[in-house]
Amino acid sequence: MSVLRWTALVLALLLAALVAISVGAMSISPSDIWKAISGGPESVPVLVVRTLRLPRVALATLVGAGLGMSGAALQGTMRNPLAEPYLLGVSGGAAVGAVVATMLGFGTAFVPLAAFAGSIVAVLAAFFVAHTAGSRGDPRVLLMAGVVVGAFANAAIMVVLANAEPNIVRNALWWMMGSVAEGSWPQIAVLLGYLVAGGGVLVVIANQIDVLSLGEESAAALGLDVDRAIQRVFILSSLIAAATVAAAGLIGFVGLVVPHLVRAGGVRRSRPLLVGSAIVGATLVVLADLLGRILRPPAELPLGAVTALIGVPFFLSKLRRLV
Amino acid sequence: MSRFHALLFATLVALPACSAPARDTTPAVEVRDDFGTPIAFGKSPQRIVSLNPATTELLFSIGTLPRLVGRSQWDTFPESVTTVPSLGQALRPNVEAILNVHPDLVLLYASQDNRDAYDRLRRAGVATVALRIDSIAQFERDTRLIGRITGDSVRADALVDSVQATLDRVRAATAALPHPTVFIHAWDRPIIAIGGGSFQSQLLEIAGGHNVYGDIAAPSATVTLEDVIQRNPDYVFASPISAPKMRASASWRTIPAVRAGRLLVYDTLLIGRPSGNLGAAAVSLAKLLHPGAIR
Amino acid sequence: MIRFDDVAVQYPRAAAEALAGVSLECHRSALTAVVGPNGSGKSSLVRALIGRVRLARGAIVVDGAPAATMDRAALARRVAVVTQREELAFPLLVSEYVALGRYPHLGLWHAAGTEDTRAVQDAMTGAGIAELHDRRVDALSGGELQRVRLARALAQGGEALVLDEPTAFLDIGHEMAVFELLHRLARDGRAVLLVSHQLNLVARFADHMVLLHHGRVVAAGPPSDVMRADVLEPVYDWPLVVTRDPAVGAPALLPLRSR
Repeated sequence: MSVLRWTALVLALLLAALVAISVGAMSISPSDIWKAISGGPESVPVLVVRTLRLPRVALATLVGAGLGMSGAALQGTMRNPLAEPYLLGVSGGAAVGAVVATMLGFGTAFVPLAAFAGSIVAVLAAFFVAHTAGSRGDPRVLLMAGVVVGAFANAAIMVVLANAEPNIVRNALWWMMGSVAEGSWPQIAVLLGYLVAGGGVLVVIANQIDVLSLGEESAAALGLDVDRAIQRVFILSSLIAAATVAAAGLIGFVGLVVPHLVRAGGVRRSRPLLVGSAIVGATLVVLADLLGRILRPPAELPLGAVTALIGVPFFLSKLRRLV
Repeated sequence: MSRFHALLFATLVALPACSAPARDTTPAVEVRDDFGTPIAFGKSPQRIVSLNPATTELLFSIGTLPRLVGRSQWDTFPESVTTVPSLGQALRPNVEAILNVHPDLVLLYASQDNRDAYDRLRRAGVATVALRIDSIAQFERDTRLIGRITGDSVRADALVDSVQATLDRVRAATAALPHPTVFIHAWDRPIIAIGGGSFQSQLLEIAGGHNVYGDIAAPSATVTLEDVIQRNPDYVFASPISAPKMRASASWRTIPAVRAGRLLVYDTLLIGRPSGNLGAAAVSLAKLLHPGAIR
Repeated sequence: MIRFDDVAVQYPRAAAEALAGVSLECHRSALTAVVGPNGSGKSSLVRALIGRVRLARGAIVVDGAPAATMDRAALARRVAVVTQREELAFPLLVSEYVALGRYPHLGLWHAAGTEDTRAVQDAMTGAGIAELHDRRVDALSGGELQRVRLARALAQGGEALVLDEPTAFLDIGHEMAVFELLHRLARDGRAVLLVSHQLNLVARFADHMVLLHHGRVVAAGPPSDVMRADVLEPVYDWPLVVTRDPAVGAPALLPLRSR
C-alpha cells in the first residue's frame, strides 16, 4: 500500500480521536482541549477532557489496535477468514472471571484482574484439552478445544446468573457488553505494555505468519517449526485479546472485521496487515464509542453492540462478493 | 363478573371458617389490580402469599402477618417477616412452590416477568392480585386496596392517613424554601438515576428538592456521567456504599457538586421502600436538604 | 544427495506401518521417481522428509548429514519440497508467493536483499512464469499454478527438489511441460525426486525408478528394470502388458480389461 494511503490511515485515526474528545454530552471547545493537555486551570470542561474523554479515547485506541492485530494474526495463521481474537475461549474465560468476581462482591478494581485471569485459565485449558486429545499442536484440535472451553464457560455463566440477585446480573451483563468508560491511567498503561510487547513480537515474526498461511505442510517444507510457530501466535494473540477484555469487557466483531477492511485496501503481507489492522481497529473502536455516546442520550449504547451494528452490514457486503 | 370469579366467590363463601375468624365483614368491593383485572372478594383470605417486599411489609404494618404463609426471598423487612417461609424468587416465581402452600390469595409484583405466573395461578383457581407501587398515590391506593382485600381496612386506612399527615407536614415546612436540584444516584454500572416517575422523586419534591432527572417519565433511567455533569445538580445523593467511592473518584469529582462537598449519603434502605415509612423517608430527605427546617 | 536408510513410519492408531523399511537414494543430476499404487507409502516418504511425521526406524540423510538433527531452515535451504496440495485462504501476487521461497534464507526479520530478489527472478524465469509475476495466485490456471509452485521451490535455492504428484489435475500438454522442466533441472545438476503415479511419463523421463508396495521397495533401478509386467502386475493387482512405445521407444504400460 502506498505511503499516501498509510498517511491517510494515520490521519484518519488522529481525526477520529480529536472528534471523539470534542464531541459528547458536554460540548467541549478546541481551546478547552488545548488547556486540558497543556496543563491549564481546571474548569469543568477541562476536567471532563482530562478525566473522562482522554482516558476513554486512549483506551478505545489501544483496545481497537489490540483486537485488530490479534484478529489479523489469527486469520493468517489459521488460514480462516472467520478467525477472531476470542477463539481460544478468551471471551468465555474472561466473562466467568468477571461474573464470579462480581458475585463474590469484590470491588470494581478487582474485576479486570479476575477477567484477565479467567482468560488465561481458559486458554491454558484449551491447550490442555488439546494435549490430552493427543494432538501435537495441530491447530484444528486446538480450535475445537477452544470452542469446547468457551461453551463450558458460557454454561457456567448461565448457571451462576440464573440464581443471582438482579443487581449482580445487571452488573455482569453490563460488563459483558463492553465499555471503555472506566479506564484508569494505570490500566491504560498496562494495556499499552501488553500491546507493545505482544504486538511488537507479532510484527517481528510476521514473516512466519506469511509462511504459515501457505498451509502446514508447505510451511514445514520451507523450514518453519510449524507447531511452535502456531502456538506462539496463538499465545500472543490470546494475551493481547485477554488484556483488552480485562480493560474493556467483550467487544466483538472488531478482530473479525478489521483485517478484512485492511485487506480490501490491497494489503496482502502480514507485517503491513498487522500494522494496518492496529490503526484501523483503533479508529473503528474510537468511532464506535463516539456513536454509542451520541446516538441515544442520555444513555450510552454498549460498545459491543455498536461494533456489532457496524460489523454486520460490512459482513453482508462481503458475503455478497463471495456469492 | 366472569364465570370463574363467580365460582371463586361461591367456593370461598362455602368454605367453613377453619382458621381465625375474619376481622372485618365489609361486603365485596370491585377493584382492579395493576394488570387491569377486576377482582372481587367475599371472605377475607386466611392463607396469603406475598412475593414483593413492598406488599409484604405493608401486610406486616397492617397486622396481617399471622395469615402470611409465604414470601419471596427478597422480602426481609422488618426482621419478623423472615419467620414466614420463603418461596423463592419474586420475579418469575416458582408456581409449584406457591401452590404447595395452598394459598387463597397471592400478591405478585406487577411486571411482565410475572404475567405467566399470574395467569397460571388464576387458572389453578387461586385468587391472584398484581400490584406495583411506583408513586405515592399508588402507595395510598394499594394500601387501602390491600386492606379491603384482607379485611384489615381500618388499620390500612389509618396507616395511609398517618403517612399523608407526615408528608403534608414536610411539604408545608419546605414550601417557601428554595428547592435545590438533586441527582439521586441509584446504581453504578451502568449509572442509573432516579427518574421523575418514581416515588423517591416525589418524596424529594415534598422534601424541598427538585429531581434533576425529573423530566424523565420512567421511575429510573440509565445515564452517562457526562450527562449528569451537563445537568449540573446542586446536590448528589448516593448510597452509603457508593458515596465514599464517588467522593474519591476522579471521574465523579468532575461534577462540581461532588468537588464542593455536596455529595450526601441518603438512607437507601429507608428511601427505597414504598411502605408505611414514606413519611419518615420524606423527613430524612428534608433533613439532608434543609437541616433545621424539620423537627 | 538424499538417502533414505531403512526408513519406517507408522501413523498413530494405524494397524500397519505406512513405510516398513524403505531404502533409496536420489543423486544429483538425476531424476529419481517413486511409484506405486495408492497407499503404498509414497506420500509418507515426503512427509517424513519435511518432518511432519516421526520416523519409527531408520534415517534420512542429506549430503551425509542426518536430516533429523539438521536445523530446519538449513534443510530447507538444501532441499525444496513441493507438496501435493496447497490451499491458500488469502490470495497473494505471484511475485510475493515465489518470494516466500526465500524464507529459509531470510528468517525472522531480515528484509529481502539483492541476492534474494535475483534468486526469485531466476526461479521465475527457470520455471517459465516470468510474465505472470503481477497476477494473483488464485486467478491462475492449474498448469500455471503448478509452475508457480515450482518457481517457489526453485527460489529456495537448494540443489535437491522433491515433488509429490506434481502433475495431478493437469492436462497432457501441461503435464509434459512439467516433466520436461523437471528433466532439464535434473540435467542442469539438481537431484530431483519425484513421486508420481504416471508410470508411462515417469518411464520416459526418469533415470531411476523405485516401486513401493505396502510400504516396502519391491523393485528399483532404471525404468527398463521396473517397467515389466511380471513386476508390476502383482503390485497393481490388475492385468497389464508392457510394450515399447513406437514414438520414442520408452517402456509403456497398457492396462487390459479385467478377466
